[in-house]
Amino acid sequence: MIFYSVVPMEVVFANMEQVEKRELRELPLGEATMVVEPTGPYEGRIVRLISPNPQDYLNPRLAPGETVRFRPDWHA
Amino acid sequence: MPNRRITDYLNRPPFSGSQDVPQPAPAEQPQPATAPPAEAPGTEDQKKKVLDSITQLGQTNVPQLESNIYCLTIIGQVEGHIQLPPQNKTTKYEHIIPQLVAAEQNSKVEGVLVILNTVGGDVEAGLAIAEMVSSLSKPVVTLVLGGGHSIGVPIAVAGDYSFIAETATMTIHPIRLTGLVIGVPQTFEYLDKMQDRVVSFIARHSKISEEKFRELMLRTGELTRDIGTNVIGADAVKYGLIDEVGGLGKALKKLNELIEKARSGEKVLQ
Repeated sequence: MIFYSVVPMEVVFANMEQVEKRELRELPLGEATMVVEPTGPYEGRIVRLISPNPQDYLNPRLAPGETVRFRPDWHA
Repeated sequence: MPNRRITDYLNRPPFSGSQDVPQPAPAEQPQPATAPPAEAPGTEDQKKKVLDSITQLGQTNVPQLESNIYCLTIIGQVEGHIQLPPQNKTTKYEHIIPQLVAAEQNSKVEGVLVILNTVGGDVEAGLAIAEMVSSLSKPVVTLVLGGGHSIGVPIAVAGDYSFIAETATMTIHPIRLTGLVIGVPQTFEYLDKMQDRVVSFIARHSKISEEKFRELMLRTGELTRDIGTNVIGADAVKYGLIDEVGGLGKALKKLNELIEKARSGEKVLQ
């Protein structure tokens, strides 16, 4: 990666270890997959959306940063 | 119906094992026959459950207004292949790109307004967004508010028409590896090549020439402890980098004009 920014690299990449510590869960939603960072029991924040349907990316409910609640997974 | 369900549970592993020994053998035989039809509605149910369980928290519903303009905001760092630590505000390119695909595909969207307030970021991600914006078939107007620095510059010039707020600024500086002493000429050549990609894109999509842009990029005495230039509002227009100084009103007016033009063009074709 080539970094091209007015913000110094050491400022941008400070606290990098916090990114590595994050535990992410993948939740299926129809044909899409939400990558969710758990924030509580059966609750999480969307970090990334992976979907083959581009219209899903226009849905504000699925935007990164949105909170989702999910039911416990009985099948796991 | 409920009776059958209870017996179903009793036949399943945790119970069936503890039950009489001869019972599991006949119970296992009908199971494969009933399993496939039971599974199909099961996955449907699961989908519905997940859809139902998504609840929006802490937000009131904004009255829905059908807009024919798609507004794309590019803020903070343009995040590429490396996920940046949480103190950064980032624009993730893997989200911007499908959004642009959706805007291009969606027949309700007639024009795209790109609002920039970015400090730069990943070269590849920034160029990817810039290329996507420039290849949209729908009219695109870009507006630089606050700042459109470094890799924000190619995104700012990628649209059909660009605006910059009077107070907004764009920093043009060379691409470099911070704190690294370039040891071999190849490293320098590599960085120069990467820089060429950015410079040629900007020259192709704006009125500034490649020579002039390079001159601004390598100018000394403008930035503290760095080479490059900080162009503010009217200066960006003077150099030909941006088309016009203006704010939201002007940008939307221009976009509506371009949409009208595109509509009348379609009518002529038909």
